[in-house]
Amino acid sequence: MSLLRVQGLFKAFGPLRAVDSVSFEVRPGEIYGLLGPNGAGKTTSISMISGLLKPDAGEVFVAGHAFWSDPQRAKRIMGVVPQELAIYEELSGRENLEFWGRMAGLSSSDAKSRATELLEALTLTDRAKDAVKNYSGGMKRRINLGCALLHQPQLLLLDEPTVGIDPQARQNILEFITKLRASGTAILYTTHYLEEAEALCQRIGIIDHGRLLAEGTLKELQDRLGGDRLFVLEADLKDASPDSWDGFSKRFRILQKTERQLVVGAIGQRDPSECLKDLLGLPVRVENVTLKRPSLNDVFLQLTGRELRE
Amino acid sequence: MLRVLLAKDLRRARRNPLPWLINLLIPLVITALIGLVFGGKSNSGALGRIRFALVDEDQTILSEFLRGSANQREGGKYLDPVIMEREAALREINDNKISAVLIIPTNFTRSYLTGKSGISLELIKNPAQSVHPAVMEELLGALVTGLNAIARNLQSEFPDWQEVIEGQRDYKEISRLIERAGDKLKQAEKFINPPLVIYEKDAPGARAGEGGATNSVAGVAKPAARKASPASEVFGYLLAGMAGMFLLFVANNAMTDLHRELRQRTLVRYHTLHERLSPFIASKVVFTVVVLLLSSAILIIGGGWLFGIEWRQPLAFAAVCFAYACFAAGLMAVLVALVPDERKAGALNTIVSMGLGMAGGCMFPPQSLPAFLRDHVTPLLPTHWFVDTARNLQYSGGDVAWPLALGKLLVASLLLLALAAWLFRRQFREGVRP
Repeated sequence: MSLLRVQGLFKAFGPLRAVDSVSFEVRPGEIYGLLGPNGAGKTTSISMISGLLKPDAGEVFVAGHAFWSDPQRAKRIMGVVPQELAIYEELSGRENLEFWGRMAGLSSSDAKSRATELLEALTLTDRAKDAVKNYSGGMKRRINLGCALLHQPQLLLLDEPTVGIDPQARQNILEFITKLRASGTAILYTTHYLEEAEALCQRIGIIDHGRLLAEGTLKELQDRLGGDRLFVLEADLKDASPDSWDGFSKRFRILQKTERQLVVGAIGQRDPSECLKDLLGLPVRVENVTLKRPSLNDVFLQLTGRELRE
Repeated sequence: MLRVLLAKDLRRARRNPLPWLINLLIPLVITALIGLVFGGKSNSGALGRIRFALVDEDQTILSEFLRGSANQREGGKYLDPVIMEREAALREINDNKISAVLIIPTNFTRSYLTGKSGISLELIKNPAQSVHPAVMEELLGALVTGLNAIARNLQSEFPDWQEVIEGQRDYKEISRLIERAGDKLKQAEKFINPPLVIYEKDAPGARAGEGGATNSVAGVAKPAARKASPASEVFGYLLAGMAGMFLLFVANNAMTDLHRELRQRTLVRYHTLHERLSPFIASKVVFTVVVLLLSSAILIIGGGWLFGIEWRQPLAFAAVCFAYACFAAGLMAVLVALVPDERKAGALNTIVSMGLGMAGGCMFPPQSLPAFLRDHVTPLLPTHWFVDTARNLQYSGGDVAWPLALGKLLVASLLLLALAAWLFRRQFREGVRP
């Protein structure tokens, strides 16, 4: 059974459809990545799932129960890590953890012992008594994450938890999240970093302009492009019209075309060398053809016509 | 949970005490400045006795009479004359040891009794002081008026008096002169006492909420409704007003913390754990009230100690302070809910606090406000309920209607809290972000 099921979620702010009929589910022990550019609707989705915003339409089910039938019950099960640092800078790391533990319903002694465990797990024991305002960006992010984990939630909602930190600190956080997944926690992870989604998530939903465009495992998403390789053809394509080439659109799926480059994937199970020969025979002066593994960016490119990094 | 939330806020305030200290120090400093301008401190809390030099260059019976009367009976309570030579007196004034020098010039008595024109008493005021020299000038004006009145009414007796002063009359003639002067004064008594026009202030208990001064024409003077302490209480009067105004600023500062919780997303994080926001908002209100009570204690007790003010009804005063703290917290909670943007709210809250303070009579006595404001707006303002009650508790008898002010302030604070909670709920439902 899924721990989180989102069905037809919809939210509009005036004429803007921030989230438009989004549906997905997250299972125990799974990291589900919601991948999309800034403004795609990721944070609004998390706000509705965590009860901060009431959806205009759609339902959120937490552990099989409709969220709005008993919001407090659902909130006890989940932990939320907001994108912004929602911590008290004047307090120490330990004080922050203990306070949010008490707010999550732990007794004073339980909050203290859980704070000690988390400081250890987040490798912050040495700086536990320092005011958070003196922490580095990465340390603040770790405390921000830890504050949602005091009550050991079964479902964790992470809203871009690695924004604005250095690669080393990011790696620490990703390793920590991987361990959480291993312990059976269901995690909804929003990000606009392709590498994170590829490395971390078991399943990925691609969201843009409020709509969930595709979802599945990395392999399933890659397969949408025609297998596990793409061909990048470099040529003078200024006046070229691939649709007019004899049977080309039946053999290849065009992902991107510029004046200098054509990115395509083969349709069906075809031998790469045969595809290569086919491409070299096109009615343009080909300068170079390379093969590459399809990335999530290529999937996003195919779905939206633009790169995720744009 | 409320205890944990409060402990967290107090801990945070302790780690960053500067804003609180500034808000507490400002009213004390302003009170001290204004108080010092009006004459400085004395042990009795009054403006103090006016120390001045009296230079008698005339050395006659009349000048001795004037010298002696300066520190007798009531005069002795307020005046501290020192007899000295002109040069010594000028040295004293240069050293700022006295407030003024009053010189009775040579031949003053002779000139006065012979009716010569252009006779004068000389007053040198200390330029380093403001109030005491001004009081001396006023007193001297009163003395001159009295001497002129005597001269007009007893002119015919003056040649005889001059001979008395020069020792040319015997005791029998002196007694006859005194008798005649007494008869004339007795005839004048019916024109002097009782006065045709008197000036009095209404007893605040009788006209609660107004406290204005009125002129009344009466044949008989009413007995004083209060036992006003001598000018003393300039510090107490000022401090009560300052407290009324600056407690609003302290409340604003305390409640700004709710803005910070919104901006730092900690309130949002709380909301991810709890559906109901009211405990969080309530903790901020309680925190603000606690801070305000501590501030009141520092202002009232500390200010009282600093300026030598003896608060007359401390328990009633404390109860009114508590109710006012509740009102201030409720008001600021409403303002935060209305304007979630911290910068905009900062400007608005300052304007609202100053407006309420000034229109409520915190900075100026209500009598000096424009008539429309004084008569129709000021009585409706909670700042006025607080300041007026506080001042009346200090300066009037025991018949101050403080429970009424207490009740009005508490009701106002409850209404404001309910409004704030409703506004916050509505804002969150609509997804308003600061």
